[in-house]
Amino acid sequence: MRKQLSFIETIGFCFVLVSSLLIASLSHAAPVSEGRPIVIGAPLSVGFNYGLGSKQSIILAAEEINAKGGIIVSGKRHPLKVEVADTRDLEPGVPTSEGLMVVEKLLLQQKADFLVGGPIRSEVMLATMDLVSRYKKPSILSVGAVTPTFNKRISDDPNKFKYSFRTSGNSINLTTEGLGVTEQLKKQHGFDKVYIMGQDVAWARASSSLYKSELEKRGFTICGYELYPTGSTDYSMGLLKAKESGAKIIFPWMDMPETSILINQWYDMKVRALLIGYMVAATHPDYWNGTKGTCEYIADLYTKAGTVPTPALPKSVEFVNSYKKRWGKEPISEYDGSCYTAVYVLVDAIGRAGTLDSDSVAAALEKTDIKGTVMGRVRFDKTHDVIYSQDPKEGAVSLWAQWIKGKRVVVYPSEIASGRIELPPWMK
Amino acid sequence: MGILIYSVVVSITLLLTAIGFALVYGVSRLANFAHGGLYILTGYLVWGFLNKLGVNYIGATILSLIIVAVVGATIYQFVLKRVRGMPESEIIASFSLALGIMEGLRSLGLVGFAYTIPVFVRGTVVVAGVPVDWQRLIIIGVGLGVVAFLWVFTHYTKPGLALRAMAQDERAAMMLGIDSDLMAVVCLALGSALAAVAAITILPLGNITVETGYNVLIYAVAVCVIGGLGSWPGAVVAAFILGFAQILTTAYLSPQWHMVVVLLAILLTFIVKPSGLLGRQKQLEERV
Repeated sequence: MRKQLSFIETIGFCFVLVSSLLIASLSHAAPVSEGRPIVIGAPLSVGFNYGLGSKQSIILAAEEINAKGGIIVSGKRHPLKVEVADTRDLEPGVPTSEGLMVVEKLLLQQKADFLVGGPIRSEVMLATMDLVSRYKKPSILSVGAVTPTFNKRISDDPNKFKYSFRTSGNSINLTTEGLGVTEQLKKQHGFDKVYIMGQDVAWARASSSLYKSELEKRGFTICGYELYPTGSTDYSMGLLKAKESGAKIIFPWMDMPETSILINQWYDMKVRALLIGYMVAATHPDYWNGTKGTCEYIADLYTKAGTVPTPALPKSVEFVNSYKKRWGKEPISEYDGSCYTAVYVLVDAIGRAGTLDSDSVAAALEKTDIKGTVMGRVRFDKTHDVIYSQDPKEGAVSLWAQWIKGKRVVVYPSEIASGRIELPPWMK
Repeated sequence: MGILIYSVVVSITLLLTAIGFALVYGVSRLANFAHGGLYILTGYLVWGFLNKLGVNYIGATILSLIIVAVVGATIYQFVLKRVRGMPESEIIASFSLALGIMEGLRSLGLVGFAYTIPVFVRGTVVVAGVPVDWQRLIIIGVGLGVVAFLWVFTHYTKPGLALRAMAQDERAAMMLGIDSDLMAVVCLALGSALAAVAAITILPLGNITVETGYNVLIYAVAVCVIGGLGSWPGAVVAAFILGFAQILTTAYLSPQWHMVVVLLAILLTFIVKPSGLLGRQKQLEERV
């Protein structure tokens, strides 16, 4: 015969049940304890735009991750600590060895667990690859140093260089972008005459000569191809030659500050050719105010997306807003999105590895596949370089932005564009 | 015609960047390697007065010019005076000051491409079918004005005549009652003010970056070596030779070679006339 429970017995039973559940849940959540900070070393030439912007982006990403509680590894909650060291590698005359000493100091004295950011100059970066291998510390290069030698070295000796990764891409991607936008201009406006102005430095010579030969194969007329030494302060002859030759596109490959003189001269001389190319000077958010608008209609290549917000990359809008809130202005360098992403890529790999062990994190980095970052999908190829694509669903994208009425409008590639390339009034 | 016009523009730009350096060396025999630092300091000062303190353009340029002249005088009074007569120490001291100024500006966070000062007049005129912007025409005017001023100053004013006397023979000038140190202070102030004038007129063409200071120093030294260290008329001639050579190289050869032309000109000068085109420093030894 079943006996019915009295009221007091029911209450007692419920109390025991709830208490048991509570104890069980507590015993499950308890083991997370505070761990030591994970030190991210950032070797950067902070006296330059590239270095300063990268530093600010890395710090921003680390602060965001810390605000969400850091990273939990093996039951311990680790905050991120960013240690920035000035490599001065972009300064004239600073030897490679000085940059290397700074990186070594980060690894030995600051006890960096991982490296993110630079060095920025290719030769310092290439030498750093050996240091990273010697000390077995995973490194994600995310600013400058776009030399394809990085890919070759890893391809030749994948085991030695297994700790080196790169999110900033390589110079071949830049040339592909240049060709793409030139083809677009041919389709859009029928422009098939190009005047190329390169800076007389290794990367620009390689990119501009490859761009030139590819354009010739595609039936474009090259009206002129000139190389300018770094520090050139007059472009009048080149612009006059471009004008006389009937060129419709003037395409510079330059990262020197004196490109501003070219931009101002182009504007003042009203040359009937669109000035479009790789001109680092015009990528700064304050450039419009600085030039009082002479940069209008300049279209500029940004090695990696993220720096200029576009609705097609929702994370880029979030990133630019957060950056502006934290640092008082929009991202200042074309690599800021790449550096910001690199921190998240590293954290993702640590999370998947479940340990801070270098080999495990490097192995996890190889399997990275993150969609929807500020520069699109991030995956690494066999040479540990970020997979480039013009479609953000497939890979990391570059972007072209044109200055229009004081704002930068993303005009290429079409997958992320928010406007079309416009011509200056004197070309209409 | 374009070649002629832009050759004149480039020549006078070179002249403006070099004439302050030439003047200082000519009078006090001091190689003021802080010249590039003072040039770029002027740019940032004008920018600061305009954008941070809200001073109008004319006020900003005058204030910057005065400050840089005072800095130049101070450099002599407190640094170079103590090492005067020891050429190696003079070079090391003034180059250290240049590094201090330029890298100091960099460490203050003055990096990037947004530091610019406005042109005096925005617009372009067509001269014999060649478009030239107003700022470059103003550079020509200012350059010619500076040369005229220096000529009048050194020929018809007491301090100018004293400076010439110092340049010709410092000991004889001292015997005639000219205060050598005072004249050196005046000279450094004037040379620094000339660097400031160059910066105020040339920097609006592009933007202000620390690296520009190093380039200015290189060009100033090149012009002075070719013209003859110590001779400001020599600097005028050298600036025109280099300016025309650079533009002709760009027009008929390739801009890639225009720095090579400068170095080649220095090399040729050393071979043919080591004291420079109008230099007198080693003339006697050369004759012997």
